[in-house]
Amino acid sequence: MYNFDLVRPTSIDEAVAALGEEEAQPLGGGQTLIPTLKQRLAMPSKLVSLTAIAEMKGVCKTDDNALAIGGGTNHATVAQEAAADFPGLAHLAANIGDPAVRSRGTIGGSLANNDPSACYPAAALGTGATIKTNKREIAADDYFQGMFATALEEGEIITEVRLPIPEASNYQKFEQPASRFALVGVFVAKYADGVRVAVTGASNDGVFRWSEAEAALSSDFSAGAVDGLSTPDGSGMISDLHGSGDYRAHLVKVLTKRAVAAAS
Amino acid sequence: MDAFGKSQPVRRREDLRLLTGAGRYTDDTAPEGALYGYFLRAPVAHGRITGIDTEEAAASPGVRLILTARDLAEAGVTEGLFTVMVKNRDGSPGIAPRRPILAEDKVRFVGEPVALIVAETLDQAKDAAELVMLDIEDLPVHVEIAGAGDGGRDGDGAVESPVHVEAPDNLCVDFALGDEAATEAAFAEAAHVVTLEVPDHKIIANALEGRAFSAAWVDGRLHVTMSSQGVWTHKSQIAKVLGLPEDAVHVVTEDVGGGFGMKTMVYPEYFAIAQAARHLGGAVRWAAERGEGMLSDNMGRDLVSTASLAFDADLRITGYRVDTRFNLGAYASQFGPLMQTQLFSRVLTGVYDIPAAHLRSRAYFTNTCQVDAYRGAGRPEAIYVLERLMDRAARELGIAPDALRRRNFIPPEAFPYKTVGGETYDVGAFARVLDHGAAAADWDGFEARRAASEARGRLRGRGLCYYIEAILGAPDEGVRVAFEPDGGAAIYVGTQSNGQGHETVFAQFLSDQTGIPVERIRVVQGDSDLIASGGGTGGSRSVTVQTNVTLKAVAELVGAFRAFLAEEAGVTAEEVVFDDTHFRVAGTNATHSMLDVAEMARKAGRDDLLSVAAHDKLAARSFPNGCHLVEVEVDPETGTVTLDRYTVVDDFGNLINPMLVEGQVHGGIAQGVGQVLMERVVYDETGQLLTASFMDYAMPRANDLPFFHFETQPVPSTSNPMGMKGCGEAGTVGAMAAVANAVQDALWGQGVRQADMPFTPHRVWEMLAEARIAAG
Repeated sequence: MYNFDLVRPTSIDEAVAALGEEEAQPLGGGQTLIPTLKQRLAMPSKLVSLTAIAEMKGVCKTDDNALAIGGGTNHATVAQEAAADFPGLAHLAANIGDPAVRSRGTIGGSLANNDPSACYPAAALGTGATIKTNKREIAADDYFQGMFATALEEGEIITEVRLPIPEASNYQKFEQPASRFALVGVFVAKYADGVRVAVTGASNDGVFRWSEAEAALSSDFSAGAVDGLSTPDGSGMISDLHGSGDYRAHLVKVLTKRAVAAAS
Repeated sequence: MDAFGKSQPVRRREDLRLLTGAGRYTDDTAPEGALYGYFLRAPVAHGRITGIDTEEAAASPGVRLILTARDLAEAGVTEGLFTVMVKNRDGSPGIAPRRPILAEDKVRFVGEPVALIVAETLDQAKDAAELVMLDIEDLPVHVEIAGAGDGGRDGDGAVESPVHVEAPDNLCVDFALGDEAATEAAFAEAAHVVTLEVPDHKIIANALEGRAFSAAWVDGRLHVTMSSQGVWTHKSQIAKVLGLPEDAVHVVTEDVGGGFGMKTMVYPEYFAIAQAARHLGGAVRWAAERGEGMLSDNMGRDLVSTASLAFDADLRITGYRVDTRFNLGAYASQFGPLMQTQLFSRVLTGVYDIPAAHLRSRAYFTNTCQVDAYRGAGRPEAIYVLERLMDRAARELGIAPDALRRRNFIPPEAFPYKTVGGETYDVGAFARVLDHGAAAADWDGFEARRAASEARGRLRGRGLCYYIEAILGAPDEGVRVAFEPDGGAAIYVGTQSNGQGHETVFAQFLSDQTGIPVERIRVVQGDSDLIASGGGTGGSRSVTVQTNVTLKAVAELVGAFRAFLAEEAGVTAEEVVFDDTHFRVAGTNATHSMLDVAEMARKAGRDDLLSVAAHDKLAARSFPNGCHLVEVEVDPETGTVTLDRYTVVDDFGNLINPMLVEGQVHGGIAQGVGQVLMERVVYDETGQLLTASFMDYAMPRANDLPFFHFETQPVPSTSNPMGMKGCGEAGTVGAMAAVANAVQDALWGQGVRQADMPFTPHRVWEMLAEARIAAG
């Protein structure tokens, strides 16, 4: 690790000010950035920790039936606090990494990093969440812009994520055998006005919605409805030593079916 | 058994220390103020070094020394690393090219040490390493063993830019063993011949504690602390390479967090750190980071065998033929050439009565990390080949896999049995052990379970492996028992615990033999100043060799104490008896414990009685064996393999501590299962290691394993007085083929005819997909 300066602001305003300085970079729970630093693969001169900002932490249910989660809320807290209102999301959070990861990693950090194998992007896109920052509100459909790419601008902080609570939902993660990140993860959410299906881990373009499955499930929310669909095209899927693109495409269909079966 | 230990499941006395952070691992015990060593390693797999400029790095803050190959040569440190080479089939020696401490004219694998930077802090050393200007002219890279997709071959079949000019075809040695003509004759006359290609891929040991080494030069002596499997080879090699007298080198190994064979060998980093300490007249420490270890720790396995069995009309084996090609990596490591040659051959024919066999084994250099001993060292490899082939033979010959094995077992009355590989098995009761295994596993209930799995859309398979192991490592060992001024006793051992629980076992055994309370016994290991020689840990040898020689020391001690007491009491030595806890003098009520007599001797000025040393060699090897019976479920939609049922029945002879034995089996199975289901080393075509962290290298975890059914059916060995057989490697030897055979069984019905590990979900799914396509 190279030397860097660390500041720990206690309010969003202070954090935004600190990030305005040259070469400053935000640090969430550090579950991606700290290992990167340890391997000397990044050389920031200043890190702005977002973990001491009380107004960015916590989970609450809103009047319009959404779950509002502070950007600095760790996975363990989400797993616990979302259990009653949004069990599909709680289950997802409870199966990220191991207890140490869940105690450090945050929803804001995960969405800002947008790792193609992360779990939270599937939930955010699969619920049509709203990403609130210190500047604006961004719809999930506009937020994710490819592997590690998002709509966030320089110095912009995710302060809150609002996820509409579905009638039924489920997340199926097929673990990469070594890292236990999602080799493929599928989040299915059923709402009064339709079904959303978001896929993580699989595509070279990062998290995406499987629109054919959404259409089929919106008219018939059953595993059988998925059976009739053709497997997504594997050519745009990630291909590495843990799985070919065709394997990932195949898993998208299998996991979607299983998610629907578990949710309905 | 009572006379030779009480066979009690005594809990480990070292665990409280190890589990509460009080363990003394190498990096915890580095000398105060030691400088930090960091190795600049080869970034490419094969290339000619055209320049190393260390000037800017040397001027970097905190840097105290930089060593390159040239600096070592200028200091007179010119010797390379040693290897134990085997002979070609024609009797000529194999090719052992020079392996330098730091790369000289060429680099030959990614991770090869090129320069050592010593600085006041580790970060300073790393900063300086980035300033070293290393120029390398790339050469063609050989990732696969020659003939297997070798990118470095040119048009006429010669290898372009071989790894070593001494080995123009990248072939190191072409070894053979057995009677080739008799074997060919058996095949010519066979009623049935079954052939199978059996790959056994490369894996990383991944000890919990990585390699670590510190050295301090104090008053003309080099004091080394290191994580090892025994200090003595390291001591003599460091002395030799640095040109020091042996008594100027002191090597200590305290607690070790796993070795698995990988920490047996001397590595180049050790000489460089030792030389740096001598040069600076101070202390230097180094501990491999995880990724560094993955690049440079000796790896395991990596061979492909084509094996054939010849059968007569009654399905009795008449001949066995194996043609193996294995990878050494970039250099012949210390014991690398022995693995798939001499060590493989120890159990070549397994537990079967095979009248003719032949092994041909060729070792190749590649631009990858070295391969050497890994839990079992050649024996798991040999058993894996044979037991996969036996399973295949049963299928092709239309007989149950257990029945084919029973038909060919060496019968109990045939012992001692000399194998065609040259070993003499002392005892064995293979059919009896398998009877117990089949009963415990509910072997006959499999069909019902298979049907139940099928009803849930899962494929169930079962697999059997009957393994045999040969205890290796040095057959001799020393011990010293000394009575200490505080009234207790110390036992100095030549073995080296790597976490197996030696401290518990050796203290308990001495206590059982002498009546000295176990809490008054101190176990001393791993200090070359206190213990002159020893064989360390390896080859499942430790408890057998150490208790064997301890018995001898105790006998001498008892004899000397009886004579002393007789003299004191004015009786003959025959009138003094020892009953395992107390000495009694005939005609008196006097009883004395061992510690009492030691105290009497001390008071009488008989210091000669306060320490007894012994050295002894085992009469012969012993041969642990047993059966593993496994059931797996495969999810055909995802390719996921779930280990569902696991039964082991072992014949380890007599057990000293059954609980620790079972622990060894559990760990051994986990390592075998790890390789079969998930672990694997992947290099890309340029020789870069893709599996260089736990993000990509999968290790087995507790939830990958079911609860094990474990029992033993002892047939005491006749090769040592305790009747022991050793248990450290057996779990791995048995697990590999058992699990692989179970997966093959699950997939057979789907048309999969060649199921090779690792059975990752992706690979299993592809096997099923290909079989579907082939079936049209």
